[in-house]
Amino acid sequence: MQEILVAKGLYKSYGGVHALKDFNFVVGSGEIHCLVGENGSGKSTFVKIVVGAISPDQGEIILNGHHYSHISPIQAIHEGVQVIYQDLSLFPHMSVAENIAINRLIAQGKRLVNQREIENIATEQLSKIGVSLDLFIPVEELSTANRQIVAICRALSLDAKILFMDEPTTALTKVEVDHLLSIVMELKQKGLSVVFISHKLNEVFEVADIITILRDGRKVGDFKPQELDYKTLTYYMTGRKVEYPRYKRSLSDNKPLLEVKNLSRKGNFENISFKLYPGDIVGLIGLLGSGRTELALTLFGLNPPDSGEIIVDGTPLKINSPVEARQLGIGLLPEDRQTKGLFLKKSVKDNISVTLLEKITSKLSIINKNFQRSLSHEAVKNMRIVVPDVEAMVQSLSGGNQQKTIFARWAMTNPKIFILDSPTVGVDVGSKAEIYELIQKLASNGIGIILITDEMPELLANCNKALVLRNGKVIAQLSESDLNQADIGDRIQVLISSNGSSNPIVQRENA
Amino acid sequence: MRTKKRFLTRNESYLLAIVLIYSTIVALKNPAFLSFENFFDLLRAASGKLLLALGVLVVLISGGIDVSFTAIAIFGGYTSARLMLATDIDNLAFAFLVSASIGILLGSINALIIHIFRLPTLIATLGTSSVFFGLMTILVGTKSINAGQMPSSIINFGSARLFEAVAPSGNTYGLSVFIIPVVFAILVTWFVLYRTMLGRGIFSLGNSEESAKRAGFNLFLIRFFVYSYVGLLAGIMGVVYVAEVRWVNPVSLVGTELSIIAAAVIGGAKLTGGEGTILGTILGIIIIQLFNSTLVFLGLSSSWNDLFVGMILLISVSVTSYQQRLKSRRSLTFSD
Repeated sequence: MQEILVAKGLYKSYGGVHALKDFNFVVGSGEIHCLVGENGSGKSTFVKIVVGAISPDQGEIILNGHHYSHISPIQAIHEGVQVIYQDLSLFPHMSVAENIAINRLIAQGKRLVNQREIENIATEQLSKIGVSLDLFIPVEELSTANRQIVAICRALSLDAKILFMDEPTTALTKVEVDHLLSIVMELKQKGLSVVFISHKLNEVFEVADIITILRDGRKVGDFKPQELDYKTLTYYMTGRKVEYPRYKRSLSDNKPLLEVKNLSRKGNFENISFKLYPGDIVGLIGLLGSGRTELALTLFGLNPPDSGEIIVDGTPLKINSPVEARQLGIGLLPEDRQTKGLFLKKSVKDNISVTLLEKITSKLSIINKNFQRSLSHEAVKNMRIVVPDVEAMVQSLSGGNQQKTIFARWAMTNPKIFILDSPTVGVDVGSKAEIYELIQKLASNGIGIILITDEMPELLANCNKALVLRNGKVIAQLSESDLNQADIGDRIQVLISSNGSSNPIVQRENA
Repeated sequence: MRTKKRFLTRNESYLLAIVLIYSTIVALKNPAFLSFENFFDLLRAASGKLLLALGVLVVLISGGIDVSFTAIAIFGGYTSARLMLATDIDNLAFAFLVSASIGILLGSINALIIHIFRLPTLIATLGTSSVFFGLMTILVGTKSINAGQMPSSIINFGSARLFEAVAPSGNTYGLSVFIIPVVFAILVTWFVLYRTMLGRGIFSLGNSEESAKRAGFNLFLIRFFVYSYVGLLAGIMGVVYVAEVRWVNPVSLVGTELSIIAAAVIGGAKLTGGEGTILGTILGIIIIQLFNSTLVFLGLSSSWNDLFVGMILLISVSVTSYQQRLKSRRSLTFSD
């Protein structure tokens, strides 16, 4: 097989800390090469070296037989290196066609533009992957999955030979992920090499020809997917055995913290009923659009319901705003921590203490800085947030630590009910286990937790009850004993995606 | 799967409707409004504003804002008139050359400051606006030039018409030559924005600076062009302005920049960048000019002008913002 990219003995260090140590890497043509490792293991450092954003301290890159000790961004593009960044780098108000074509026009040094040419380039790329999109609508009107496709087409338009995809499936639903992976497989058939970076290990096993594992800047090894299983892979990534703790509720039923009766909102969800007891971790599982996030927002005082009852601590009430929700002891960890959860450019301290303002301010509404600091220190310690200082900007933290910051924020308020919407998206395996421990610790202390998730292992590890949602309706309520059955994962999977005509496999029962 | 390109955006069709409805009301109230004479007067009076607004449109698309263009315009217009008087060169081309050069120079200073120090564009141009104005009053002076002193080439430019006709009242009227630089500016702006990579770079920069950088656009070049181009248009407007009013008081004009920005925003340009159309901007200026010149036909004092312009601005911005909010509600974003 022809070698497209060879990296030989790459070293890179930042201020004495090795980000990459003696890294060797080979990608052949038409090969899907998965690069896995925890945050900070050196994956992104390597990508930055290949695209020419930074230069290595030592070692060389060989692309299509050409040797480079330091490659420039333009040289990288000419060698056919393309990266699809996690944020996709698209222009939201500009048309699909232009988003696809513009990089190619720049690379060709064009001064004038011709609408026909733009359309032709776009049509050609889209036909390469057999997708049809409206060329003239602005990209902001597309779903995340279709934006991903636009980004792929843009890379193809530049005659990509090797495509780096950084966490491409993070914001996608199961169906969209399957579609994307099939596109990746198709590109491989056409001879394109893909370097696939993902935290979702099941996807890695699905597409990889070779899996390269990085740990602390060093390569652990290259493996064929047959040689690894989930356990060995996580062991190599983290250097330790990662076992997700299995939650068992130890509290006995007394009074429900929250009861929801026939809650409906047109177009979102209908007739949702369930009870949440202290120490419960109730899983909400379903596809995007099944009503799970909509329901969570309703319980948090956004997205008001049309009918039905919400009973908190035995009192039926209306939750009109997040402020009221917080006063009732309801916390929310939102789906997208970057845009909806965190103040990215503020310190960890400010991010943690934002829910505690009443507690840390004096009568004149002046913040007691020392108290704020000591509370934040305590929270950082309790939650095991890895951060040099509580003054560090939240933006600079890894995904797992960012998520723990939001946990800390709510845990400090002593909530009664904590709603977690996809808490481990974009979080690496090691941190995932730590977050699960956190969730289970909070539950054991008597908090009722609603856990929204896409991932079956996450549901099975943490939840003692679950609601399966499809098209806004609860199609199954699962008890603890249901969740302990061996094949429950597969059966839930079928429930989620079947179109509703088949008989429910798990009988609906009342919790 | 493809949508047809619409000739008018939704916002533009609203604006067009406002122009038509308002004109109908004025015409019903006072039939004298519907005359070519009046229409040509309106065009002449709107010419300078439109030149400035095209510049503003380009800056807004690039994601920036410029409030120094009125200072640049008066700097160029006043200095060129003074220079003509001082050197006895009574030549219109000279006036344009001087004023346009000053405009490009001052605009490029804006660009350099913004790019090198990475300043927010509002702060940077707020600062340079005062600096430019102060510089002019110190270097060139503050004495007004009245119609009697004004070089004859400028006076002639102000009264020249492309063609003339005689109104039933016996007045001759016609289409002012101001339309020439305006049409020229519209064509150039259109060509740059929609037919050159530079123009697409301006849109890209306004959409996302980071993405534009990654795509390989030269951001310095784009910014340099954008602010110099605003300066150039302001310089040209300076001469048109001096010719229009036939006398120049150096403290006039400065302070009107917000109404020009308002016109561009009414026309659909977004302060957040990446969006805006030439037709929208033209309609925005027409609306502002209509209120400016036609309230008398309705028997209203000019104090109503600000009220109307402000209301249109608020309504047009509120409507788009509300639609955006509904859209984000559908995607479960509750950022309000």
